[in-house]
Amino acid sequence: MIEVKNVAKKFGRKKVLKGVSFTAEKGQITCLIGINGVGKTTLLKAIMGLTPFDSGEILINGEKIHPGTYEKITFIPDTITMLPNMKIREAFTFMADFYNSWNAERAGELLKFFRLNEDDRISDLSKGNAAKVNLILGLALDVDYVLMDEPFSGIDIFSREQIADVFTSHLIEDRGVIITTHEINDIEHLIDKAVLLDNGVILKEFDTEEIRENEGKSVIDVMREVFQA
Amino acid sequence: MKRYLKLVNFEFNRFFKLYLVLIGITFVAQMSGVIVESKSYHNQANEIMQEDLLTQSEYVQQYGPMSFLNISESIWFLGTIALCAVTLIIYVFFIWYRDWVGKNNFSYRLFMLPSVRLNIYLAKATTILLFVLGLIALQLLLLPFENQVFKWIVPEVFRTDLSVLEITNLYYLNLLIPKNILEFILFYGAGMTAVMIVFTAILFERSYRLKGIFYGIVYCGVSILIFLAPLLLQASLLENYFYPMELLFLEIAACVLVLAGAIWIGNMLIKNKVRV
Repeated sequence: MIEVKNVAKKFGRKKVLKGVSFTAEKGQITCLIGINGVGKTTLLKAIMGLTPFDSGEILINGEKIHPGTYEKITFIPDTITMLPNMKIREAFTFMADFYNSWNAERAGELLKFFRLNEDDRISDLSKGNAAKVNLILGLALDVDYVLMDEPFSGIDIFSREQIADVFTSHLIEDRGVIITTHEINDIEHLIDKAVLLDNGVILKEFDTEEIRENEGKSVIDVMREVFQA
Repeated sequence: MKRYLKLVNFEFNRFFKLYLVLIGITFVAQMSGVIVESKSYHNQANEIMQEDLLTQSEYVQQYGPMSFLNISESIWFLGTIALCAVTLIIYVFFIWYRDWVGKNNFSYRLFMLPSVRLNIYLAKATTILLFVLGLIALQLLLLPFENQVFKWIVPEVFRTDLSVLEITNLYYLNLLIPKNILEFILFYGAGMTAVMIVFTAILFERSYRLKGIFYGIVYCGVSILIFLAPLLLQASLLENYFYPMELLFLEIAACVLVLAGAIWIGNMLIKNKVRV
C-alpha cells in the first residue's frame, strides 16, 4: 500500500500541498483529479522521492523510499525520460542493465501492442508514440505500483484509446496504479478510487463503485458537485 | 559497484563522440603545428643564409637553433591544450545540466535508478577524470611522434634536440604531466577536488534553485578557504612556522578534508534535496 500522510510542500512562498493524506492499494486504480497547477504532479514526484517535501510522511509497503524501492514502484511522467538520440532498443538495454525487475518479454509484447519498431529513434517519435514508449518503459518493469502523470495529455484520440486499453489488460492486473489526469472521460469507467485535489488540499476521496451503486452518480457528476461548490 | 561501473560506462559513452572530435582536433592541430613551425624556421633560415651569405653554423650562431620548445610555445600547441581544457571545464557543468534541460528529461530516469544516488555523482566525477587522463595519455603518445617529425623536417645542424622527458619538464607541460607520483597525486588530487566542489555547488543550485546559487557560491568560498588555510596561515599569522614538508602534508590534509566534505554534502543533497 502507498500511504501519503499529511504531506505539505512549499515552493518559495506558495504552498503547493497543504497536508495531503490518502492511500492507494495494490490491485486498484486510484485517480488524482484536479485542474492544472493544483499539486498533482508534485504529489507523484514526492511519492517517488523526486521532490523533497517539507512535512508529513510517505510510506510504500510500510517503508520510506530507498534505492531498492525503485524495483517495486515506477513513475511514468508526461515527458520522455530517455535520451533523444537513443533507439527504442537501446532504451530497453539501458533498462535491462539497471533494473532487475525489467521484463524484456513484456516489453516486446507492449512494443507489438503499440505497433512500434525497436529501431526507431526516440527523437523521431511523434508525441503519441513517445508517450507509448514512456508507458512501455514503466509497464515492462515487474513492479507493484505504477504512477502515471497525465498519460493522455496532448496526444491523438487513437493513441489515447490504445493507452486506455492497457488499463483493462493483464499488464495492469494486480498492480496498484495512481494516475493523474484532468481528462477523466477516457478512464472514468476504469478507476476504482478518485481523489479530488484542489489548491493543495484533498476535497473528496471516494470509491467510484460505491458512488455509482449507492448514489447513482458518475465520477464526473461528483467532480461537478465538488469543484463547482 | 556493478551499477556504478555501468553508470561510468554510460556517462563515458554520452560524450565519447565529441571526445573523439577533440582528440582529432588535437592530433591534426599539433601535427600541423610541428610541420608549419619547423618548415617556417627552415625556410627562414635558408632565406637569411642566402641573403646574408651565411653558413649554417654562422646562422645558428647568430639566430640560435630551433628546439621543440619553439613548437610547444606556439598557438598550435597552446591552443589545442586550452581548447581541451575549456571543453572539459564546460563539460563539468554540462554533465549535470544536460539531464535537466531540454525536451527529454533524463534526470527522472537517473534519479529513479535502483542504486544509491551517490553513484550518479561519483560516476560523473570518474568520467571527467577519465577524460582528463585520456587527453594527457594522448599528449604523451603524441610527443615522441611529433618530436620525430620535427627531427625529420629540421636538419640536425639547426636543432637542439630534447628528449620527451625534457619536453614534459617544460613549464606548462610539467603541470599536465607530473614528474613523479607525489606530484601526480597533488596536481590531480587538487584538480579532482575542484571538480567535486563544482559538482556539489551545482547540486546546491539544483536543490534550492535561485537561493542555491548563493549557497553554492558561499560553499565554494568556504571550501577554497579551507584548502588554502595552511598556505594563508604560513604567509600571515605563522610566518614560516612550518617546514616545507609539514606544509605539504597540511595541504594534503586540507585537500582530503575539502574532498570528503564535497562528497558528503553532495551525497546529502542528491539523496534528500535535489528536485527533478
